Amino acid sequence: MADLRRRDLLAYGVAAPAALVALDRALTAPAAAQAPKRGGTLVYAQCSGNRRGGDASNTKHPYFMVDLITRCAYSTLTWVDEGLNVVNELATKVAPADDKLNAWDVEVREGVLFHDGKEATAKDWAASFELHRRRNFASQQIQRIEVTGKHALRFHLDAGNAEFPYVLAEYDNVVMPADEWEKIGLTGIGTGPFKIASADPQRRMVLERNESYWRKGQPFLDRLEIVNREGQMESAINGFRARQFDAVLNIDPRLVRQLQSEPETDVVPATSGDQAVILLPKHAGSPFLDRRIRLALAHAIDRDAIVRIVYGGQRWGWVGNDSHLAGTDPMSRPRPTGRDVAKAKQLLAEAGFPNGITLPTLYYAPQWPEMGRYFQVIQETVKEAGITLPIEERPNDGYLKFRTGDADVGKGNFHKFAYTAVGPRNPGISLFRMRGANNESGYWSGPEHDRYMDLYRKAMVTADAGQRKSIYAEMQQICFEEAPALLPAGRNNVLIKRPNVHGLKNHPQHWSITWDSVWKA
Amino acid sequence: MIVAVARRIALSLLTLVLLAIFVFVATEIMPGDALDVTLSADELAMIPPERLAQMKRELGLDRPAAERLVAFLAGTVQLDFGLTIISRTPAADIIAYPLRNSVLLAGAVLAAAIPLALALGVAAAYRYRRALDNAVSAGAIIGYSVPEFVIATVLVILFAVLWPLFPATITAATRDPAHVLLAAAPLPVATVLIGSIAYLARILRVGMIEALASDFVERLRLTGVPEWRVLLLHALPAGVIPSLTAMALYAASLVSGIVVVELVFAYPGLGQELVRAVTRREVHVIQAIALSSAVVVVGLNLVADLAILLLDPRTRR
Repeated sequence: MADLRRRDLLAYGVAAPAALVALDRALTAPAAAQAPKRGGTLVYAQCSGNRRGGDASNTKHPYFMVDLITRCAYSTLTWVDEGLNVVNELATKVAPADDKLNAWDVEVREGVLFHDGKEATAKDWAASFELHRRRNFASQQIQRIEVTGKHALRFHLDAGNAEFPYVLAEYDNVVMPADEWEKIGLTGIGTGPFKIASADPQRRMVLERNESYWRKGQPFLDRLEIVNREGQMESAINGFRARQFDAVLNIDPRLVRQLQSEPETDVVPATSGDQAVILLPKHAGSPFLDRRIRLALAHAIDRDAIVRIVYGGQRWGWVGNDSHLAGTDPMSRPRPTGRDVAKAKQLLAEAGFPNGITLPTLYYAPQWPEMGRYFQVIQETVKEAGITLPIEERPNDGYLKFRTGDADVGKGNFHKFAYTAVGPRNPGISLFRMRGANNESGYWSGPEHDRYMDLYRKAMVTADAGQRKSIYAEMQQICFEEAPALLPAGRNNVLIKRPNVHGLKNHPQHWSITWDSVWKA
Repeated sequence: MIVAVARRIALSLLTLVLLAIFVFVATEIMPGDALDVTLSADELAMIPPERLAQMKRELGLDRPAAERLVAFLAGTVQLDFGLTIISRTPAADIIAYPLRNSVLLAGAVLAAAIPLALALGVAAAYRYRRALDNAVSAGAIIGYSVPEFVIATVLVILFAVLWPLFPATITAATRDPAHVLLAAAPLPVATVLIGSIAYLARILRVGMIEALASDFVERLRLTGVPEWRVLLLHALPAGVIPSLTAMALYAASLVSGIVVVELVFAYPGLGQELVRAVTRREVHVIQAIALSSAVVVVGLNLVADLAILLLDPRTRR
């Protein structure tokens, strides 16, 4: 090392503090720039609205809001974060009462006020869950809710559930001021960061800052406006370009490349997102009573083509495995085999259709902007196996009632061969959706179904996650061999926002986005 | 005069009754009843006949057609169009605000289109076969020929995206006050306005050319009446009369016919509601929209007839 000369020393003596100052500025300036700013209005367009909205008589009710992000006005006991880990929201403690895992004690945060100024107590939670256990798909296991203190509850389940804290995070499961379960929630009063100021069913909702929000200092925004542009993504993007909207949620992933090159447009992807469930009804007269036809369809669909054509590659889409688990879930097990057209033809021949089969009409709604393309790809790819698949788009409005129904054809509105969307959740909730009593399984029954449910019950009382994983793998294998429903591929959720919108994180569960810490520069 | 007015009112009422019967027949009797139209083909194939019969009973479709027609007409008089099949909401409630919004949009378009079209039509006729006439005629053909969705897209790019003066998409609520909706709707209004001016200017120009070429105008000129008086006080009323009915029908068509514009701009009008009703196969909403559109057409036609009666004494005979 050469000796330092006096000139060098002087130079370093001047340069070093200057560099330190510059470094300090470089480090602190972004922090200062990122300091949240209070106030302002954020308007966002939602390309995936609430499909129950069309049946709404009161759009302030958390079940019938304009979109599924109920947390803008309401709060739940727990929340699933962007990494799909469950964390407490208004609960301060969630723990099983014993090792049977069928009773859970919950302590709720004290001093939380409803929008009308009254304190939310365990009685309100108990009354709210009287509705949820009747209406929310994941909460029907709750047999009874016991108020054990002013801010303490015990949930009694019909069976053990090691993953019960995830159920409490469901977007329906919010707290509302206590009332009879038939009337609860109609006032639109919650404990969320914003209060509902006005609501136009299926179209728009305006919310204003809740000054007494339990997260002190939040939210930062004064006003939040939600505009439903379900099925009208072009209109939403035009509005974004015209600076009417600060963000557009749940855009078609195929637009990302184009939007990335547009000025003042930040593309914010999530790590995962919804996948399509193709319901295979098993009512009398349905071809899907025959397992071979279900499997033929499963083998004939080109899932890679869906990811490539519909989503533009693996960055924005992923292959499903015919279970409700997202392909990105660590508990998910890939399909053991890829597409097999020869096998599909063989199965059809065995089922008595050696020359191919024409299936009933497959109905879908444009709940996601890309769904029309999705089903066109399926329609085209199954042709190779001799399957003719008529498809028909139905409006989002009223679609839920249209596609669901009874297992019994004789009751009229029977369930359809149709699409629905399902978001990524923990395996306990996701795999439970394939139960025979659920429309999404097409009312599946039989010995394999019973084995599936036995495994499910076993997993739910298994506290060890590693052991549960192997049970879940076995359940997914049954789905692969039985194909009670088809889940060919899924998307990664994408939103766009203006660069001056800060703190807005995208979420694999598009309903779990929060607005608490969002602010505008 | 009174007899002529009464005759036209009676004719309008008769037309409305016939239209109501036609709407009923078209949507409930041929080729299937309301339930057949609402159910998908798969449902019709799969639902057992006894269940179908029960559903028809629940909807009153098992009653004789004549009986249902009387009930339908009686309900229509009371603005009771029945309930939607899916959500069991009164159809009249569903269309009330969208109808108001479409009337607003059409009204705003006409308020601007009629004076502009009059000015252009009169100017073109006065300068018949000269540069101004050629320019108006060519502009009218272009304005009338370009599809509205193209005009809408160009206007959005120019005046909402590149030069953000107006909203590209309407976020106002369905039940917002009229001024809120109108303030949000300059681009939808402009989109329809271009085609409207083009259409109305063409028919007014033709009427004015005939009026200006008539004997009475020549006589007025020969007697030394100032040209502006000839044009505005004598030729204009005569030139407008033949166009009144066409203008009234065009105005009526705007109320129910600007579906594309409403969809492009997400304007909460009757067009959007009609598309939704058709895709949901909500027969009662479709009936309500068809009938309310018919009332607007017949009503405006009646207004035009009465105006002609007032302006043209020959029609009072």
